[in-house]
Amino acid sequence: MDGVRVGNRVVGTQSPVTIGWENIPKVEGGPVKQFIFTWFQPTVLFALLAFWYYAPNSIAVTSTAIGIGIGFRVLLLGLEWAYPRFDSWHLTWKELVTDLFYVGLGYTLLRFVDSYIGSDVMIKAIQHNFHLEAFKWFTGLPLLVQAFLIAFIFDFVQYWMHRGMHNWYPLWLPHSVHHYITQLNINKGAVGNPVELFLIGLGIGGFFDFVPRAFLLAGTLGLAVGSYQHINVRFNSPRWWRYVFNTTEHHSLHHSQDFESTRSNYSGTFIFIDRMFGTCIDGEAELLGMEGGRRMSIREQMTYPFTEGWKTLREKFGRPSVAVPAE
Amino acid sequence: MTSPVRLAQPWAPQPWGAADGSSTDTSFAEKFPSMRFINWIWHVRGSVPLAPGQSNPDAFDRLDPLFREYGTSHERTGDTLTFSKKDQPAQDKMSVFDSGVLRIEKGADGAVLRYHLISRALLFCFVLAPLFLGIAQFTIVMGKFQKPASEVAATSGKSAGAAKKPAAKAADKAEADKAAPVPLNPVDKFLGAPEPEKPKKGEEKPGRRNKKPSPTPAYVFAAIFATLYVIGRILEDWLVKRLFKKSLLGS
Repeated sequence: MDGVRVGNRVVGTQSPVTIGWENIPKVEGGPVKQFIFTWFQPTVLFALLAFWYYAPNSIAVTSTAIGIGIGFRVLLLGLEWAYPRFDSWHLTWKELVTDLFYVGLGYTLLRFVDSYIGSDVMIKAIQHNFHLEAFKWFTGLPLLVQAFLIAFIFDFVQYWMHRGMHNWYPLWLPHSVHHYITQLNINKGAVGNPVELFLIGLGIGGFFDFVPRAFLLAGTLGLAVGSYQHINVRFNSPRWWRYVFNTTEHHSLHHSQDFESTRSNYSGTFIFIDRMFGTCIDGEAELLGMEGGRRMSIREQMTYPFTEGWKTLREKFGRPSVAVPAE
Repeated sequence: MTSPVRLAQPWAPQPWGAADGSSTDTSFAEKFPSMRFINWIWHVRGSVPLAPGQSNPDAFDRLDPLFREYGTSHERTGDTLTFSKKDQPAQDKMSVFDSGVLRIEKGADGAVLRYHLISRALLFCFVLAPLFLGIAQFTIVMGKFQKPASEVAATSGKSAGAAKKPAAKAADKAEADKAAPVPLNPVDKFLGAPEPEKPKKGEEKPGRRNKKPSPTPAYVFAAIFATLYVIGRILEDWLVKRLFKKSLLGS
């Protein structure tokens, strides 16, 4: 495979990829469908931002956010079912069960672990030791600025954590499990080894005590932008949207079977962070995964970083096997 | 694409037995006779009639593409096809099954393809409901050891009670100031955002940092997986029957 030159690198030599927005297919259908799939994403984003900005205090609470989040994901699952981007990414019963198992772990055990040794503890320690009252003026900033700062700080840290995972073997081991998925669906972001899910959740967006409403607005950015990372629906996202925000196209390239393509598009929400650091590639891929599309079983997903790490350690430091010469 | 993988063993007792009347795997059936009553949880059995006059080789040739997927190995011996899958991708139409036996039998109404398929995914989903119920119980037990911040503060406040020193009073005042809502930025005031309310005394701060873990999500997921199991057991049974029928009849 010849591949395509993008800056200093050549991508798509191991597996087919499509590079450049002009080469990516558009939504097919009548004008109404085209209109809906062009303006759906911005409309939902601005509607949700307006809702959280103006909602009375009695409604602007976490439980409302959870309800909206679940409802929105169900809607997106319906869109995936009715308008799939690729038929080969069709959500099967087995994939749905696997995805929801990880979503369930995230809501229960991981959250529990987080409250003891994760970001919650880190935040409390940092707030206690660094006298963050000095940053109290943050809470006086306009709500949308606060919301952007929370989302940006979190995504910036996540970008470097994610990039680190692709460049440092001990971090790659837990993250590699997530790269064995062979298709993108709404809940695929939750699939991975629990160690990685724990590490990727270590954001510092919550170090400063922002106004609670600002957190809800920031959460909306994650919901109404980040959710599309793993969706199997084609949108004609407006040019400004795909310049600023991460899209399925970007993230599918990141999951491509082509190694060089996976070393791009690390951010979660704001693709402009990748643009800032020269790691953004605009394009998409359909063939995803590792080792030619091998799908890991859940048992292997749980043990792979440890078994593979142990294998590597033995190869590096273990006693070399002595070949016995034939008599 | 095929890859060399081991065939799954041992086989569960076959519902139809071998052509000569003997069982295909008597050892398993003898060891675990009661398994027959529970292995329907992850074993799918069924049959599809062959087209009139369709020969065994022709029927298996039509089914052959289903077993030429990544991670699938299969073996054909006369009237029987045995397959096994490992790390099968989601795109495999039979990815929910890990192994199985297909056999063509001559019946009174013509030849019939009988199949016996094994799915670890169905077993896994079945187990998930009790697993999440267990997680809910674990959360309740752990919650008893973990008091929320507000409760701890209330208890320590009571014990300190009467002997409050001026320094402690000053600290309380600082805490009260901290709890006071920050005034809205003029831009937000102009745009009409609601003013934040002063938190009520003893009210927890928003956010999960200050909350006791709740068993509710675990209960919800237990219910989701119980429902998904019922759906999957019916759906996958129906889908594989349709798949075999379509492949055999070529429609």
